[in-house]
Amino acid sequence: MPIFDPGYQHWSGELSGHGWRWLAIARHGYRIGMKNYLLRIIMLVAWIPAIALGFMLCLWGLVERKSELVMPLVAMLDMFDPEVIANPKEYRAEIWTLCYDTFLLMELRFSMILVLIVGPSLISQDLRFNALPLYFSRPLRRIDYFMGKLGVIGAFLGMVLIIPSIVAYVLGLLFSLDLSIIPDTLPLLAASVGYGIVMTLSTGLFILALSSLTRNSRYIALFWLAVWFISSVVGGVLASVDQEHRRHAAYRRSAEISVAQPNANRPPADRQREQAARMADTRQMRQQEWLAEEQQAAKSNWRPMVSYTANLSRIGQAMLNTDAAWRKLSLNKPAEERDRFLLENLGSQYPWYWSAAVILGLMGLSACILNFRIKSLDRLK
Amino acid sequence: MKPVVEFDEVSKWYGNVIGVNKLTIRVPAGVTGLLGPNGAGKSTLLQLATGQLFPSQGTVTVLGQRVWGNTSLNRFIGLCPEQDAFYEWMTGWDFIHTCARLGGLNRIDAKDAAGRALESVGMTKNKDRAVRGYSKGMRQRTKLAQALVHDPEVLFLDEPMTGTDPVARRDLMDIIQRLGGEGKSVMVSSHVLHEVQSLTPNIILMNRGRLVAEGNIREIRELIDKHPHHIVLVCNEYRKLAARLVEWDDVEGVKVLARAQGLMVETRSPDAFYGRLPQLSLEAGTAIDEVYSDDDNLEAVFKYLVNK
Amino acid sequence: MTTAALRSAHDSSYLASLWTLFVLAVRQHLHGKRWMVMAALFVLPALLAVVIRATASDAPSIWLEFILIFMFIPQALLPLVALVYSSGIIQDEQEDQTLTYLLIRPIPRWSIYVVKLLAALVMTVILTAIFTTLTYIVIHVGADSAVTNLPSRCAKAVVIHSTAVVAYCCLFGLIGLMTKRALVVGIIYAAVVEGILANLPLSIRMVTVIYYTRIMAYRSMEFIADVPHKGLDIAAGAWKLDSKVDPQLSEHPSLALCVLILGVASMIFTTIAAVMCSRREFHVKTPEGS
Repeated sequence: MPIFDPGYQHWSGELSGHGWRWLAIARHGYRIGMKNYLLRIIMLVAWIPAIALGFMLCLWGLVERKSELVMPLVAMLDMFDPEVIANPKEYRAEIWTLCYDTFLLMELRFSMILVLIVGPSLISQDLRFNALPLYFSRPLRRIDYFMGKLGVIGAFLGMVLIIPSIVAYVLGLLFSLDLSIIPDTLPLLAASVGYGIVMTLSTGLFILALSSLTRNSRYIALFWLAVWFISSVVGGVLASVDQEHRRHAAYRRSAEISVAQPNANRPPADRQREQAARMADTRQMRQQEWLAEEQQAAKSNWRPMVSYTANLSRIGQAMLNTDAAWRKLSLNKPAEERDRFLLENLGSQYPWYWSAAVILGLMGLSACILNFRIKSLDRLK
Repeated sequence: MKPVVEFDEVSKWYGNVIGVNKLTIRVPAGVTGLLGPNGAGKSTLLQLATGQLFPSQGTVTVLGQRVWGNTSLNRFIGLCPEQDAFYEWMTGWDFIHTCARLGGLNRIDAKDAAGRALESVGMTKNKDRAVRGYSKGMRQRTKLAQALVHDPEVLFLDEPMTGTDPVARRDLMDIIQRLGGEGKSVMVSSHVLHEVQSLTPNIILMNRGRLVAEGNIREIRELIDKHPHHIVLVCNEYRKLAARLVEWDDVEGVKVLARAQGLMVETRSPDAFYGRLPQLSLEAGTAIDEVYSDDDNLEAVFKYLVNK
Repeated sequence: MTTAALRSAHDSSYLASLWTLFVLAVRQHLHGKRWMVMAALFVLPALLAVVIRATASDAPSIWLEFILIFMFIPQALLPLVALVYSSGIIQDEQEDQTLTYLLIRPIPRWSIYVVKLLAALVMTVILTAIFTTLTYIVIHVGADSAVTNLPSRCAKAVVIHSTAVVAYCCLFGLIGLMTKRALVVGIIYAAVVEGILANLPLSIRMVTVIYYTRIMAYRSMEFIADVPHKGLDIAAGAWKLDSKVDPQLSEHPSLALCVLILGVASMIFTTIAAVMCSRREFHVKTPEGS
């Protein structure tokens, strides 16, 4: 009977290639993250918009099939124009687009919270407990390390952004039972998955860069919050100041314009009616001018770009092409209400590539910071 | 002699985990070694003695005063903690001077005390460098200096030799012996047995939160009835010697070590055995080349008591 | 040495320890980049003022002052800076494992907490004062401002903001001792309590720091704008103070009472935290909960 040595034994199998080394780090980070009770609760709550998205897409599928189950409900809720209800297939792409747009806007906030909980300690804890030599003394490159850490963010954001998008899409398909839905809506699925990837890369790189700057994860979390809230507030303040400035200018201009007096020879009642009609016309004209001015100003209004989340949502808006959806829906409105409807519902109108440049710039800066802060073993102190 | 540190039926638990369990110790003045394997409760004991932890049961007194909540007692206590943590951005001198000032010394006294403390640990040359640039040995010395700067009467050193090279370790041991010689009471916690043995014969041995043994190493060894002493004899005619040794009543066993050309003898009375051995060698006509025992040391005590 | 001399020597050494601890805490705050990041955040209102002046030069100064100094700073910046400096008074030292060096000194634990809190207060008040003043200068100096008595307004704003930041620091310092998740609790407090409850025209807003800040500002200064309507009280509308029905705001506390309430609340938070600190064990070596 052979006698075996129970001591240390060399691994005689095959080592996996470099391509998957990062996965070990990502898996470990994911497991650690999932132990956080608060994180699990946030993820559960983050699935509520996903459930709502699935519900809306299924509902639309039933509306397309004129299901007696939902038609009374839809009529009661009065969420859509009668024209839209009458021809649901015509407006399928637009309704799906707006549902996805709302979902992604809500998930943007949850994603920021998830990154706030998971992200700050990713690299800062390794710095605090001097774990970098433990990583880089193994056959692990820096890129594997960064990808592994980014994979942790990707795992959590994927679970609230990408997976719900795909699941809701499949549900919407199943409830529609119409193959023509695929060419109509497939670009949406691609756009939402693409947006999820953009979110992951942008927020992931940014939080990793912040996490590499200090060993105290609390300050990183606070700084992330500052970037999120304060940049939004600053963007909002700048935008509202700009709008107030235009409003005051319009108010001053309207005060200078005098309304022509009606013919004094006419009877008083007629004069009054004429006066009222002219004032109404003048108000209408000023309103139209104001709306046109706002629409024009929106095309070059860079102020929302100060907000980090506004840049991300602008990119999402461009990827989903929500403007086209709103424009098509506005055609059902009376002509005099169309501009106001668009002003209220269209998002930022400045070119989407401005936001893309901001996001890319931040990603580049983050990559530079990571490259500078995380050195390979021969250069670690 | 009045004990310097006294634990009276002290227990400390963290939730369901017992750190120390019904500990009653009276530590005399001088250098005392605190020994035990990892998780024995040594650090818990030191933290209780320095007032960082509150005993769940029992009382802890140092220099006759209760420790918990008695921060004025800290004037007379010095602690060299185990963790390697500093205000890394400070220089060595800055750190020691700040510790002196925190200890209540005025500006002039603190300056002198810091200089003396750094001198005593051999860090005068490197005092103006930031701590983050220090080697492990320099960091340990600096930690010891902050424990000494206010000239305490009682010193608690928690694993002071961790991570140090042999030269630094020798220097630290010299410092500890000198402190003991100056009349300070020093309690050194370690699991490096031969170092503690060279510092002091007085030990406290703990295992799993309980006190296992307390006192002089030799006395403890003699009290361990269960395990007879092992004494190795090296000589050419070892079998002839073995035949004579088995006739002695206090010899419990003889094992032939053919490769070493010797014998290992088990006896419960090592002193008596040593006394009779030269006569035996003469009578038997067998020259004994070497006599030694691995048993009469701390490691043996530790092994017997901790591993039983 | 006589007993009195001994006591005097003991007292002076105790004070020396406390002073050293205070200096150490301030040096810890100044060392590193944290204060630079805070300064960068605090300079935002001034930067915003510059940008707004460049893009909308006729924006009324009083309106800018209200938005930036009395809305942006108290709602966004003051809670944030207080969280940064106070939520980790003890926790930071515990995580860095340097708390041991303080615990083994002849300094009572409650003193350790109070002195470190004092250092945090000094830092935050100085930051607040400097950057509030800077923002005032940027908004009003050189602009065609109708605001009179600018130094007085600036001084009042500094005092009001300092009072608010002291209250926030004391509160977050206590939260930092009560829970390991001080950051999460602090953020929830700032977002929900100070962000939402404070803006409701109900009595519940009296539990918020920002309510008293607003009342103090309203009672000590005027926020009357000429644009778009002459004599428009900006603050009353934004802060939902029914000044049209009750011009004297008799249902709201007086200026002195506001200061007293914030002061007493700060003292209570500090006292509770100091007592907690004196009775608690701090596990420096082994992470708590493990």
